[in-house]
Amino acid sequence: MLKSNLWFVSRNADRVLLHRYCIPMSNDQNTVSKPIITMQQLMLRYPTGKVALSGVSLAISQGSFVYLTGESGAGKSTLLRMFYGGLKPSSGQMGVQQWDMRSVSESDVRELRQRTGIIFQDHKLLFSRTVFENVALPLRVQGWDKERLVPRVRKVLGFVGLDDRLWSYPEALSGGEQQRIAIARAMVTNPPIILADEPTGNLDEETARKVLDLLMSLNQSGTTVIMATHDLHLLTSHPGRVVQLHQGSLVGDSYE
Amino acid sequence: MSDRINHVPERIELRLPGGFQLPPFGIHQFLALMIVCVALWALGAVWLGLQGAQQWVGSWQGNLQLHVYLPVEKKDQLGDLKGRLSTIEGVDSVRYINRKEAALWMQNWLGDTSLDVDKFSSQLPESLELTLADERNDFIFSDIRDEAARFGASVNEDEIQLANAHELLQSIRQLVLFVSVILALAMAMIVSNTLRMILLARADEVHLMRLLGAKEWFVRMPFIMEGTLLGGGAALLGWLLLWPLVLGVSSWAGSLGIALSPFTLLLPLLFGGVLVGCLGAMIATAKLISPDSVDS
Repeated sequence: MLKSNLWFVSRNADRVLLHRYCIPMSNDQNTVSKPIITMQQLMLRYPTGKVALSGVSLAISQGSFVYLTGESGAGKSTLLRMFYGGLKPSSGQMGVQQWDMRSVSESDVRELRQRTGIIFQDHKLLFSRTVFENVALPLRVQGWDKERLVPRVRKVLGFVGLDDRLWSYPEALSGGEQQRIAIARAMVTNPPIILADEPTGNLDEETARKVLDLLMSLNQSGTTVIMATHDLHLLTSHPGRVVQLHQGSLVGDSYE
Repeated sequence: MSDRINHVPERIELRLPGGFQLPPFGIHQFLALMIVCVALWALGAVWLGLQGAQQWVGSWQGNLQLHVYLPVEKKDQLGDLKGRLSTIEGVDSVRYINRKEAALWMQNWLGDTSLDVDKFSSQLPESLELTLADERNDFIFSDIRDEAARFGASVNEDEIQLANAHELLQSIRQLVLFVSVILALAMAMIVSNTLRMILLARADEVHLMRLLGAKEWFVRMPFIMEGTLLGGGAALLGWLLLWPLVLGVSSWAGSLGIALSPFTLLLPLLFGGVLVGCLGAMIATAKLISPDSVDS
């Protein structure tokens, strides 16, 4: 463990230096791109006193595919929540897109969320609304006209292979289809970053692979994807950067 | 073809949450509408009753007036009596009404009968008309009676009773105003509780909208609109339901010289209903906290 930590610290020091001198960091060590998320000595302490994250320093490049792994309670979901402004850092530095998350205002958080797609393990679909109404919700929030909604939603649902279910209700769909609807909702506004919190947690292996295929396709079109997961076996078929957390600390950062 | 597939089918009714989109009308809203409607109807009925009572006691007159009658044989004391009555605190002015004027007024009141005014006026006493100030002491009627009795004159006791009834109505009016405010608050709480239930049922929707970066007005507006419409709708319904009541008592009220008009209540009831609904909605949405709220 100590060896692993030392490896990480020396590796991370390079990243900090690169960032400090505004040198774009690499995504996959071969290509060079701008960081979309940066963290230095990030700490989060809940009001109860529990430390959820401690000393996390990390940079995530634009267009990368990052897996956040670790045991339950390691801090994966907490970190994801911090990426969309659900929690503010207690200390340290954190920048997401163009915002400093320690001094971010309410309106900035709203703007950040409009530029972030979020996918949850339990999908958070509205079961009393049709598939169309679920997927169109982010567009409504951003003030799109009703007339423009149908073509856009149909196009996005076509991407996830569900354009024939536009007027169905989510309860009529399988778990995998529901998760694909959640992906469609996350990508409908074409955000630069998609955060996925255990999106394959409730799915069988075959369906999970299909969901991951979709996320990979999105990533190949330039979207940064950060995915918290337990399913390490998916890494063999869908490689990416793996950031490992343990008890709120960063213990590994590798490319699989 | 692409135009056709990119339109919402006719059988589909879009219910996009947030913004200026009203949520669906359900049983909770219907119950709240009925309760607020009954409360507003009851308030409207009380105010109509007060309106009728005020007409009956003649408060529609700008000033409250009282008449003192002096027998003709004591006519020479009329000037002294007028002077004494003028000095009583609470009496604004004293006007002498000659007997011919009194006879003409009476003839008019009786419906232009073929009364011989000269002959009739010779039978009438001398009359003094007292206009009373708004601010009066409790003993003004006793003082007037005492002064009148000293000169052998009499006071129109029916008018004193009406004046007392007028004062009583003023007190009742204050009480009704107080009850109206209390009822308005209660109605606001009913609307608020209804909306809280709806908000609880739609907590996921609210949470999701906030996660998607919706502005607070976008999240709250449907509920504010719903509360406002609930109050306004209840007021309109309550006002319409006043008509059967008014029509039912119209012949009896007519015999007392009272003409009830629900039209005077339309705007106050509508304004009150909208205010109550809006207030209830604002109370309900004041603490609308979701996980991952920006300020959490």
